[in-house]
Amino acid sequence: MFSHPLPPNVPPSPTPAERERRGLGGRGSKFIARIIARTDVLKIVDLLRQQGHEVIAPFCGRGRDSFFDTVTDENRSAVELHLPNPYYPPKRFVLPHIERLLKVRRINGDIHMEPTYTEQKRAIFGIRSCDVAGIYHLDRFYLGRDFRDIYYEKHRKNLFLVNVVCTDPNRDIGEECFCVCADTGPAARDHFDLQLMDLGDEFMAVAGTPAGEAMFTNPIFKKAAEAHVERRRAILDEVRKRFKTTTSWFPATVRYISQGNILEKTWEEIGNRCLECGGCTYVCPACTCFTVSDRQVGPDEIERVRIWDSCALGGFTRMAGGFNPRRAVHDRRNRRFFRKLAHYFIQRELSMACVGCGRCAAVCHGDIGMPSVVEMIRRATAENDKIAPQPI
Amino acid sequence: MTASATENIYLPKLAVLDRVTDDIAEVKTFHWHFENAEEQKKFKRFRPGQFAQVSLFGVGEFPASLPPSPTEDETFFTIRQVGSCTAALHQLKPGDKFAVRGPYGNGFPMEDYYGKNLVFVAGGIGLIPLRSCIIYALAHRDKFQRIQIFYGSKTPKELMYQPNLREWEKSAGVECYLTVDRAANGWTGNVGVVGSLFKKPGVQVPVDNTVAFVCGPPIMFRFVIKDLLAMGFSEQNIVSTLERYMKCGVGKCGHCCIGVAYVCVDGPVFTYEQIKKLGEDI
Repeated sequence: MFSHPLPPNVPPSPTPAERERRGLGGRGSKFIARIIARTDVLKIVDLLRQQGHEVIAPFCGRGRDSFFDTVTDENRSAVELHLPNPYYPPKRFVLPHIERLLKVRRINGDIHMEPTYTEQKRAIFGIRSCDVAGIYHLDRFYLGRDFRDIYYEKHRKNLFLVNVVCTDPNRDIGEECFCVCADTGPAARDHFDLQLMDLGDEFMAVAGTPAGEAMFTNPIFKKAAEAHVERRRAILDEVRKRFKTTTSWFPATVRYISQGNILEKTWEEIGNRCLECGGCTYVCPACTCFTVSDRQVGPDEIERVRIWDSCALGGFTRMAGGFNPRRAVHDRRNRRFFRKLAHYFIQRELSMACVGCGRCAAVCHGDIGMPSVVEMIRRATAENDKIAPQPI
Repeated sequence: MTASATENIYLPKLAVLDRVTDDIAEVKTFHWHFENAEEQKKFKRFRPGQFAQVSLFGVGEFPASLPPSPTEDETFFTIRQVGSCTAALHQLKPGDKFAVRGPYGNGFPMEDYYGKNLVFVAGGIGLIPLRSCIIYALAHRDKFQRIQIFYGSKTPKELMYQPNLREWEKSAGVECYLTVDRAANGWTGNVGVVGSLFKKPGVQVPVDNTVAFVCGPPIMFRFVIKDLLAMGFSEQNIVSTLERYMKCGVGKCGHCCIGVAYVCVDGPVFTYEQIKKLGEDI
């Protein structure tokens, strides 16, 4: 009943002959690595721009603020490799905030419909591992199952991802990051085209797709030695210990939510803290919901657009006539966490709709981001633990 | 149903309104056909219980049940005016154009019900989605055992599809029982809620080897379910179709997601056993 076609850019596992040709040996890795000097790293941006990509990269604003923007000749030198992950996720480059689906014109009583697509070649340079997992989740959702979303697909197949591993505990790893618990980072294991990791004076580049591997023909990429691989492993070992928020009860929460073992009281407690602003869904790299709206753009012309929507908002499920099956706030909060963590959906998409980026925790005024919700569920479960040993 | 890889799942197809007939207050039936004959042929493969997305450009798109049976020639919607899209549809005149995409959803698995008794219980405009199944079942009469229809509305004037009702009442192959909450206009039939029909003398509802279809307003649904369970129906032999706010109809926009189901692709038809597990108001 459910089909799961592979999304674009996900390579099949290499055959033994292919492993031989790429010199992969018996280490069980399908990735090949190169070394690039620190001073050459931004040349990857130049290369991608020369290939006709619009390159998106992260920049620093004031204070903690950071943002993704298009790289131009003017701002190219300001691209940052280590910085706090921007709150506004790179999801918008595959699922724009507002996207036109159709242009409809009325001419002499006749209706002319024209679907409009964007086929811009894009590269995201410096995308974090959590956001790579976010895009992979969107791939599973929009391209898997019975219906493929052609608008998403056109963005996605033109997208090249250069993942930068979070290695700087002060700059990269935020207070709320918990990718180690969602198993998406700090180094993505797949779904990127190219991955860069800071080894100090130089970066290790790893190709995740043939398109990424093709970059290695450029002389800025040098052969890597076993010592580099060792250094990469040592750095990752260290970084994993530097996370501030560890949501250690995450897998248990998945189990409790899937089995429906969370008390209504706990959901109410969570719901009571929701201000219904929808912020969590707008910063989430794995949220998929949208609404569709028609708007007038000329006397005889309208366009149909889709716009990000949020299950936190009261009208999300309200039907014409006013009936709303989800009246209470906690019904809607319950919905969000159930949809993200229920085992049924993880299996259905073969990917979890929470990637551990911690953005919801950072933006939530009521402190019910994912880590807090997991903690509230853990605490409630501890209080309700029915198993008490008998001192007989 | 699976869309091909290159198909745009959000692109509706142009349709022409042929004629409009009045049903009850604020409810009209819109007969239409696709401009493209090929599309019409493709669409006609729908199953009872499926739905379509109706586009009124400049206003929006809404999901609508398909009251016709695939065994009938005509395609039509029966729509109550409740929101902005349905109001715009009610403004259309014959010859006007709008757009439709679908059919979507799972529909009733009618083939699985071959050899069984069918009991249809509807209240008010709940008869709209069930009309498709009833006509379908009557067109394949030899495939089913007994067919019973229990239908109620507030007043005699609010009984839907009156020509069909008269036909079913006269037909030998179907037992059709009607009721109204308030008698008027010389109504001589039963007065009371739909559930009161089950206890009427001479009415015998088969329970074994029977599927009960229930559609109607939430309050009627709750009471009918109670009656059916008390009669001995099992939860998996009671089926219904859910209504939810929907934007896409193809499992992407997220509005109709309840429990572990997207109503648009995993439903709208669910057994009562499933509905209970989804855990939301009907």
